[in-house]
Amino acid sequence: MGKEECKTMLDALNKVTACYRHLVIALGSTSDSQNLREELKKTRKKAQELAVANRTKLTSLLKDKSISKEDRAEYERLWVLFSSSMELLEVDMKRSLEIGQEFPIKVPTRHFIQTGMTGSTNAVAARAMSVQNMKYEADSNIDTADLRDLQTEITQVTQMVEEMEMKVQVAPWAVVAKQEAGAELKSNMSVGNSSVGVISICEEEPKDDESGGIMYIRSILFIK
Amino acid sequence: MQAASLNLLSKHLVGMVTPTSRPLLLLHIFIFPFQAEMILLEMQDPNTGVRSQPQRLVITTIPHAITGEDIVTWLADRLQIDVQEARSFGSMLVALGYIYPLQDHKRLVIKPDTSLYRFQTPYFWPTQQWPVEDTDYAIYLAKRNIRKKGLLELYEQEQYNRLHKWMNHKWDFIVMQAKEQYRAAKERKKPDRVVFDCQERAYWVVHRPPPGTVSAMDYGLDRRTDPNADETQTSDYYERIMIFTQQAIMRPRVKSSVSIGALVKHCATYIGHDPFLSACLPSNPWLTDDTTYWNLNMSNVETPTKMRVERWTFSFKELLSDPRGRDDFRLFLKKEFSGENLAFWEGCEDLKWGTAATMKEKAEQIYKTFLARGAPRWINIDGKTMEVTMKGLKHPHRYVLDAAQTHIYMLMKKDSYGRYLKSPVFKDTVKKAIRPEEHKFNDAQLEQNARNRRPSLSPIILRQQEQELRAKMAANAPVDITQLCRFTTPVPHFSVYSGIIDPPSSNTSPSLPFLPHTPICPSPISVALDSTSASERRLEASEGEGEQNTEARVPDRGNVSKSRVALSLRRLLKRGCSPSAMFASLSPKCHTAAATSSRIQPITPDEPSQAPPRRTGNFFQIKVDIPPECRIYPIESEDEEEENRLASEEVVGTEEIICPWESLTQQNGTG
Repeated sequence: MGKEECKTMLDALNKVTACYRHLVIALGSTSDSQNLREELKKTRKKAQELAVANRTKLTSLLKDKSISKEDRAEYERLWVLFSSSMELLEVDMKRSLEIGQEFPIKVPTRHFIQTGMTGSTNAVAARAMSVQNMKYEADSNIDTADLRDLQTEITQVTQMVEEMEMKVQVAPWAVVAKQEAGAELKSNMSVGNSSVGVISICEEEPKDDESGGIMYIRSILFIK
Repeated sequence: MQAASLNLLSKHLVGMVTPTSRPLLLLHIFIFPFQAEMILLEMQDPNTGVRSQPQRLVITTIPHAITGEDIVTWLADRLQIDVQEARSFGSMLVALGYIYPLQDHKRLVIKPDTSLYRFQTPYFWPTQQWPVEDTDYAIYLAKRNIRKKGLLELYEQEQYNRLHKWMNHKWDFIVMQAKEQYRAAKERKKPDRVVFDCQERAYWVVHRPPPGTVSAMDYGLDRRTDPNADETQTSDYYERIMIFTQQAIMRPRVKSSVSIGALVKHCATYIGHDPFLSACLPSNPWLTDDTTYWNLNMSNVETPTKMRVERWTFSFKELLSDPRGRDDFRLFLKKEFSGENLAFWEGCEDLKWGTAATMKEKAEQIYKTFLARGAPRWINIDGKTMEVTMKGLKHPHRYVLDAAQTHIYMLMKKDSYGRYLKSPVFKDTVKKAIRPEEHKFNDAQLEQNARNRRPSLSPIILRQQEQELRAKMAANAPVDITQLCRFTTPVPHFSVYSGIIDPPSSNTSPSLPFLPHTPICPSPISVALDSTSASERRLEASEGEGEQNTEARVPDRGNVSKSRVALSLRRLLKRGCSPSAMFASLSPKCHTAAATSSRIQPITPDEPSQAPPRRTGNFFQIKVDIPPECRIYPIESEDEEEENRLASEEVVGTEEIICPWESLTQQNGTG
């Protein structure tokens, strides 16, 4: 049924957006590399495919006048989800263009910012692409060539977002969210291929009693 | 080209940096980022950049940590500035978010010791064209909520609730995205995860600072037009220039010698009192995080500081604008039994600054207390001003008492102020005034102070305290020479200037020895407290009789316009109107209604129409420390409601002060 399809597609788009953001955050830092640029390119393309698919599906659903009121409300909610994802994507793409231009790879003296991140991001990209391992096949001038592509893609996305706002008659503020506050705490966090890990936050003084909250515990958090 | 531009850059930057430990960032925010980024890139150089070392945490080791002292030395070296300036510059970098501290992450300063810092990833750099979005912040808070399992800090909880309310339509997206980002983050290796968490946290400390911190991102208000942008030279533009220059020619001008002289005098007088220019005793709270200065200078403090008392001698305006000074002056006037001037002045201020709904009743009350013939606290203003004021009171508005207020102000300034400064009250205050010792904090103590910062008293509580004080003051009110009335009780919100001594007694009119013809002025509240049903019935029966009765009851009313006025006022008071309803009921339509109901509903503001109810209760329940009676509405309307509840059927005292403007409306009335 239309709704389920939409939801799965939106979930996929959501996942890709989140992963894309993680990848863009790594741009310009010491975990930047040619591979990262390629990952960015691939993730971006996937995001765009998903976006177009989502858009066609949702617009066709919304254009249909014969749907019931609850259905329409549900589609409007999905539409708000979709447009918010697109907004995030657009911003991230623009930023990746800017940072990519500022930190070219193929220069004799690379000046990446020493952020402390040194690992690679291929697991994130693999998650975005829904594959087990990423394959890297790009050539060495990916950063310049890709940036041109990126610029055209950005204009496409911007156009799409504008079109969406103009043509689709959905009032985003009228949508009532299904999730209530604190919903993020409710789901189980054991989804995803993550390993048992230990995270210790940067060392902090334990006495921080300005408010009721208990914050920077100088202990070890186990996260599943 | 690079080297040359960087040298120029360094000279330019040196000029921008101020030597104080908290540099003013307002101007820098627009020019600074580009230059900061160039400096940052240089700092990365493995040979000539800042020395980096690994940070050892419990399980992992994370590279690329730099110490504060290394940063400061490198900056001093590269930009050819001294250590103090390098420190300020470094602090600017941290405050803007280019570098973040690994310990004590909420204090965005450079500590020139071995405390560790790290560079922020370019995505999180502050640049002007990437506005910080609330959506992102909501996602971050949701992620943090997941991580901390619901234990967010107080200000984070407040923000969370607020965003949940205002971004409710996007909340599904925010939750979904938060979960996905959380899972995606787990795909990275452990050290990278730690680094990412620190980066994100640092970013939001800069852009959504915890309360009580000075934020480098404050740049003032957003403007619709950019004042630095070039304006197109249309005819409209030239027309505006012409109008401006024409007006400038016509403006009255002061000789520059005079105006500069005044400026010089002002500066010379105030230089010792300006905390930017001279030391603030005991210490400037903004610099040392120690709030003794504010505590010593609160408005209700017993002994003021010497500096504060000195300020009162500068001008009368200074004395009046300082609440403690005004208290002192009031005390002096009380001893001289001439407090009515100050009370009148305060009443006028109250009128000017109060809410529009209470204005009419306030004007009426002030008239009754200060201006009417035979008023209990009659003030002495000249005939012409009185004429103007009376004319204005017929159609009262906010500034109707301005002329009278100015007259009284000048009177106080020329007469009482001088005497005050020579009085024993003032001399006593000067003698008792304290001069606090200067604090000398070392760095460790400054750290301690910064950690112990606490929010100050809520303004709601302060306002409540003020109200209590005012009520207390009204209870032991001063006596004026002209005061005579024994029958008015202080009205709660007019307690400042109603100044009455005795509680109300019976309804019989006393004949007070020194002012035989002055009528008593019962306030509606006191009358309410006195009422008996018998007398009310009596009045009601007698009302029909009309003019004869009233004339009989109001013998010495010859000089006031007729009994109809008295009748109307009595009728109103009988019906339990609160003053706020008085003018409403004076209008013709309300008279018929007044006749029937025993309690008039005042003009209540419409219940604000509720927005379509969204059941979005707050997720985080935050306890606020205010007493239950205290509410966030303006106190005036609150009091009105209470008055209406209290006001019951009442009977009128025998004689009252009539407001002259009633006669106008009465002619339209149904009588």
